[in-house]
Amino acid sequence: MRTRVLAVLAYAGVGLTLAIAILVPFYLMGALTGVMAHAGLRVDDKFTGGTVAQSFVHEGYTIRVHEAVWPRMLERTEPFVQIVFEPVSALPAQVNEAIDLDGDGEPDVRVEFTVPASAAAKMHGNVIALNEGYESLRNAGNESFSRMMVRVGDRIVVRVPVRDVARK
Amino acid sequence: MASVTAPAVQKPAFRSVGRSLLLTLPMALWAMVMFTPALRQPGRDGHIGAAAVAVFMTVLFYMMMRTGTTYRWRRIFFVALGFLFPVGFIASLIAVRGTMSIPIERMISGDTPYCFMVTPMVIVPAALFRTLIFPGSILPTPSNPHSIAAMIGLWLAVSLVVGKAWCSYGCFFGGIEEGFAAVAKRARLRRFVLHWGSRLRLTPWAILIFIVVLSAALMEPVYCAWLCPFKTITEYPAVRDVETAIQMAIFIMLFAGLVVALPFLTKKRTQCAFFCPFGAFQSLFNKINLFEIRFDREKCVDCTLCQTECPTIALSKESIREGKTLLNCMKCGACVDACKKDAAVWHIKGTRVGVKPERARLLFLYGGWAMATMFGGSILANSVTTMLGFLPWK
Repeated sequence: MRTRVLAVLAYAGVGLTLAIAILVPFYLMGALTGVMAHAGLRVDDKFTGGTVAQSFVHEGYTIRVHEAVWPRMLERTEPFVQIVFEPVSALPAQVNEAIDLDGDGEPDVRVEFTVPASAAAKMHGNVIALNEGYESLRNAGNESFSRMMVRVGDRIVVRVPVRDVARK
Repeated sequence: MASVTAPAVQKPAFRSVGRSLLLTLPMALWAMVMFTPALRQPGRDGHIGAAAVAVFMTVLFYMMMRTGTTYRWRRIFFVALGFLFPVGFIASLIAVRGTMSIPIERMISGDTPYCFMVTPMVIVPAALFRTLIFPGSILPTPSNPHSIAAMIGLWLAVSLVVGKAWCSYGCFFGGIEEGFAAVAKRARLRRFVLHWGSRLRLTPWAILIFIVVLSAALMEPVYCAWLCPFKTITEYPAVRDVETAIQMAIFIMLFAGLVVALPFLTKKRTQCAFFCPFGAFQSLFNKINLFEIRFDREKCVDCTLCQTECPTIALSKESIREGKTLLNCMKCGACVDACKKDAAVWHIKGTRVGVKPERARLLFLYGGWAMATMFGGSILANSVTTMLGFLPWK
């Protein structure tokens, strides 16, 4: 009797497995994708740059300053602040901006770069720290996740290393 | 005294043509449904690619039905998948970014296609910090359709249906190894397998634990950054300093050793058997999947032919004596096809071993081949379409 019940359950399970197989492309894959997408997960700030803290709107272009990203656990990335200049098409040929990164009304760094002529052109520029909470970058390129000045699509992304003294 | 040679006996086909065609019909319809969207897209290459792969998958399934064997037909598909996947993938990388390497600006733009191998490493950081330590995007975007959520959704759905058989029906990386393992007629390092096979069996589990812990601690997918042999033929971080140069050297050495040389010399999938942490992780799905391979102890004569044929060393003398495979069995069917006594059988958990094994095989294959057609088939179609675009007279 037990053997028979087990066999019935086993074949019921197989039926369910085959039903799942049929549903995968039409429903299940999308449903599982939806569950994943709404699970409240986010891509690591090391890649995204973190949450936008403040924006400065200039004539035709915007500067977005993100919140500082601090490493967790034994993460090897240095702490940094991401600054985004967009759109590239509206930027002046030479950018030289003093920017307040921590929202205290005082500029913390000066960012200077020449806007690259094409999307593929490698760009370089400087970041000059105006107080001890940040590190200067000379001839910055794409050194690491926490030290960079790169063009990504229609944005110029600058990441400035933060020192521990800037931690609130 | 003249020796008398017995006339060669033609082994009868397992099933009649009509019955085999009838059993293939559902898979033929499935292939049509899967590839119809591609046929509706503009472009003749795409139509040819989709139609060719639909026919290819249907014919292979028919051969499985007609001959009653699984391994060699599955292997044709799987090796094709392994060797054609990089063609389509590399072509798309070159078309989008002009190189196989990922510059740092690409990583921060969320354009990196998600690879299922990362999955065990993202779980702990996701649980602890709700953070995904992969430079992709959660939802599909025009520049990255292979988003994290979409690929995990796909992998999870397929794994529910086939369990660890993902490694023999879905993993395009495994297809490359199986291809190299199939080249030589016999194993040249048979002693290596006999000596190291059982000793290294738990290595993938050790690597799995190591990379899961280290990835959570360092908040980066350690296996992808340092140990994945398949970076060599997919995408890799752009070499920009000593660290990335060392990473690249490790990828190439592991690929040459574990994916090309050792499979060729041992006729085993050595990367899968001795190294792959994702394969170890995927083995856990065998616990919930209803299909398995078992050994009918009344028929088994302990010849260990099945053990010799198993490509991932998922059998031991002890496990055969217990009538079971090890947890890492990927249900490729090599042992069943090799067994001369019909002792190795397909089995549905909860039923008696050896009772209607062909029914168990059929039911498994319907699920498994449906997933192979949907996932691997679409990759094949894409690669065939890409290759047609390279034809000199185009």
